[in-house]
Amino acid sequence: MYEIFDHTADLGLRIRAGELNDLFEEAARAIFSVIVTNVGEIRPDEKVQLRVEAEGREELLHDWLAELLYIFHTKHMVFSQFTAEVGRANVIGTATGEPIDPARHEIDAEIKAITYHGLKVEHDKAGWLAEVIVDV
Amino acid sequence: MSKQAYTGPLEQIDECCWRIPKDYKIGMRVEGRIFADERLIEQIRADQAPEQVVNVATLPGIQTASLAMPDIHWGYGFCIGGVCATDPAAGGVVSPGGVGYDINCGVRLVRTNLTLDEVRPKVEQLMDRLFRNIPAGVGRSGPYRFESKELMRILHRGVRHLKKKGLATAADLEHTEDGGCLGDAEPEHLSERAMRRGLDQCGTLGAGNHFIEVQVVDKVLDEKSAAAMGLTKDLVCVMIHSGSRGLGYQVCDDSLKKLRNVPARYGIELPDRQLACAPVDSPEGREYLQAMRCAANYAWANRQLLMWQTRQVFAEFFGRSWESLQMDLVYDVAHNIAKMEQHTVGGLLKTLCVHRKGATRSFPAEHPDLPPRYRSVGQPVIIPGDMGTASWVLVGRPASMERSFGSSCHGAGRVMSRKAAVRHAQGRRIDRELAEKGIVTRCRNWKGLAEEQPAAYKDVNVVVDVVDRAGLAKKVARLRPIGVVKG
Repeated sequence: MYEIFDHTADLGLRIRAGELNDLFEEAARAIFSVIVTNVGEIRPDEKVQLRVEAEGREELLHDWLAELLYIFHTKHMVFSQFTAEVGRANVIGTATGEPIDPARHEIDAEIKAITYHGLKVEHDKAGWLAEVIVDV
Repeated sequence: MSKQAYTGPLEQIDECCWRIPKDYKIGMRVEGRIFADERLIEQIRADQAPEQVVNVATLPGIQTASLAMPDIHWGYGFCIGGVCATDPAAGGVVSPGGVGYDINCGVRLVRTNLTLDEVRPKVEQLMDRLFRNIPAGVGRSGPYRFESKELMRILHRGVRHLKKKGLATAADLEHTEDGGCLGDAEPEHLSERAMRRGLDQCGTLGAGNHFIEVQVVDKVLDEKSAAAMGLTKDLVCVMIHSGSRGLGYQVCDDSLKKLRNVPARYGIELPDRQLACAPVDSPEGREYLQAMRCAANYAWANRQLLMWQTRQVFAEFFGRSWESLQMDLVYDVAHNIAKMEQHTVGGLLKTLCVHRKGATRSFPAEHPDLPPRYRSVGQPVIIPGDMGTASWVLVGRPASMERSFGSSCHGAGRVMSRKAAVRHAQGRRIDRELAEKGIVTRCRNWKGLAEEQPAAYKDVNVVVDVVDRAGLAKKVARLRPIGVVKG
């Protein structure tokens, strides 16, 4: 699950999940729910393979989301299904969706970037928690 | 990290300036100074922006004070409205977070010789035409495609390259900050990703708070400066707000990644990762600056092409050439940028790296960087307000050199988060509310309009009043919107 929290200039996302892999998948879903109002309309037509490498969980989350954003911006694709396998220094995953169809997809916000400000990936008794502020 | 109020010290120095003392937090190298008055200071305390002023005060080589303009609000890393000057000779750093993702986001003002009476009856159709012809919104490509060789020239030469292509005039160049081109730009430092994102986005507006507004001069306060700009009461103008698009975001993102381990290598301790930085005088610092300048040049070219398309729409719509409509560029300012500038600190002339993150250069009359037209009045400072209130044109004043490294505010400044703004707009029709005020809006989705509604911003009149009273810039004219295109 995820929730949006208040940040004056930008947008904060708080994501929770039981497993680390789920956290990354859920974070990806959160990003596309901000971009597209009606994510339910996204058809799972095309699967894109993703791989990012970085040191540290927070850096990995940043790079994973930044990679998805890059594909959105350059291939003009939107996604609704994700898989992620989070390793110590990489994330291997997939995103499934389709090219933007302005007739069906309500594009709501342009996320410019995933920031490092307040970036957090933590584990506690309740499971995994991530916080990320995006520049809109 | 949700929105929390600032609880630290804020001491009033004079009627328009507040201090955060240097001893407030360990690591502060200088004090913090926020330009504001009693009306604004309570809003400023409402979020973490003052804490961000404090964080910036810890950066190596920072001079005099970590500054914030009255439109200050919580950003990422630097606050929005922040000004930070560092001295490379004293280990001063450059930080991509002090420039932001939208490198050289900025505004330009174009005048016309049309009056309100001529435009008002046709404003709906005019806005339709602008909305249709100028690409706006997420993921829209523009009519201009540049092959990578040509993109390289734009990154190197900015608007100068467009002049060669017949898409800019000598006067356009002269009335753009830095002539629309920063030297020592090195496209070699840009990733393939950044280049790819730049190919089809030059001449597109983008989304978020970017806009094209048709405005009318509704009050002139300084006749001499207004005359130099060709502005008189009831004259119709166009204001354009955009930046470096995906190319700039990618340059910033790439740079932050490259800088991940760099501060530690130079022994720099940072309170926030978004402040990642490198000494100006280091291979990493130079590389960022050279890449950032490419994005800055791209942004100037972008606004130039947005203006060029606007001129074409007007010419077609009014059946006269843009030259006969006298659609001259008044001025173009950058408000997210880092530049090497000369400033006097403690009686010594120094070359400093001035970061303006949501702040506008505001050079006074007689400054050698000003074009002849503005040499005797000062640099035009263009301040977009929210779409329901007003925008302002000011001119730089001498005190800006003494107090703020030649800087002024950049807009109204948000008070309401986007989420809160959408909540605030539930059940309302922002477009109708604006229509009742005589403002025609064209926008792709209602939420975008809700996020940018007037109530989400501070009162621009108050913000401008503070910079005027603080002597950073002087009010010249107020402009009122009559038509808005939102990305």
